[in-house]
Amino acid sequence: MNILPTAIGVVILSAATGAALAESPAIGAAAPTFRLTTLDGKSFSLADAAREHKLVVVMFIATKCPYSNAYNDRMRKMAEEYAKKNVLIVGINSNSTEPAEEVRAHAREHGFAFPLMKDPGNKVADLYDARHTPEVYVVDPEGKLRYHGRIDENYENPEKVASPDLRNALDALLTGQSVAKAETKAFGCSIKRV
Amino acid sequence: MDFGLSAGRAATALLLLAGTVAAADAPRVAGEIDAKGLARAIARENGKVVLVNFWATWCVPCREEFPDLVRLEKDYRDRGLSVLGVSTDFDKQLPAVEKFLAKNRPEFPNYHKKSGGDDQEFIEAVDAKWGGELPFSVVYGPDGKKARVLSGKQSYADFERAVRALLKPV
Repeated sequence: MNILPTAIGVVILSAATGAALAESPAIGAAAPTFRLTTLDGKSFSLADAAREHKLVVVMFIATKCPYSNAYNDRMRKMAEEYAKKNVLIVGINSNSTEPAEEVRAHAREHGFAFPLMKDPGNKVADLYDARHTPEVYVVDPEGKLRYHGRIDENYENPEKVASPDLRNALDALLTGQSVAKAETKAFGCSIKRV
Repeated sequence: MDFGLSAGRAATALLLLAGTVAAADAPRVAGEIDAKGLARAIARENGKVVLVNFWATWCVPCREEFPDLVRLEKDYRDRGLSVLGVSTDFDKQLPAVEKFLAKNRPEFPNYHKKSGGDDQEFIEAVDAKWGGELPFSVVYGPDGKKARVLSGKQSYADFERAVRALLKPV
């Protein structure tokens, strides 16, 4: 991944830039590209990251949402496990109510080693029409969206997950198969937009 | 005759009794509901404008907007508004749901989404475009057709705007 140590603001590079509130991108369509600054001051470009990894998972997360917090361990473990398979998981916090320092402290507390970014003005959440946390999008090296939805169906008990949808999608794509359930839904906290 | 009850103890007994009555009066969960049951509950309000609000006790904006819904229902029931609440909490959170209802005292029924199964089926049955975010409200017109969906926290004015045009004129 080419991470430039420049402290630039949000630059939206998507072809869909014209639409302030875009429709959610369709599975198989181009995932809106964006550039954000990570919490440790590095520039992150989705287009670059997609080219340099087998898959990129864009994950909208929160610090205060109980649903999102129920997945903290699962997020950390999946990021570590799939990094070995050249899959990059990144977290985006679009909540206007959760400042960067809070996101940083939350990440430290839960051992998140994956890139984390604030999304000023919830511009990236708008590009994806992301509605809640946690909500994930899987992007392939061609920049196409391959999966959108939940991490799994059981927020309450990771031991009793019956439908590990994000894992299923990643495992299928890594072995050249199509994703059986490319769009899934679950309850979650709405993103607190500006 | 000695009733064996001091004035102080009698007062305490009366207070306890009053407390029991108040607890009995407090709104309780109206029952478990699945997508089909919800459709039937909406159909039973035939001819009315129905606002269905999906909430959870863990959802802060849900808790914040709920008092406005309680007020909205009181303000507009005479013009034909019915409100139905649906808690999406898990079973183990039912005591918290009851406590929340006792505190907010809604005068409309609040159901508890049936646990088990995949929430996706429930979410899609309510609205195909709903991602599952909470709070979420759906407004049905007097014809029973879906008129508006409201995603995220709403103000009293937002709720009012969503239902007023559909309600009977004053």
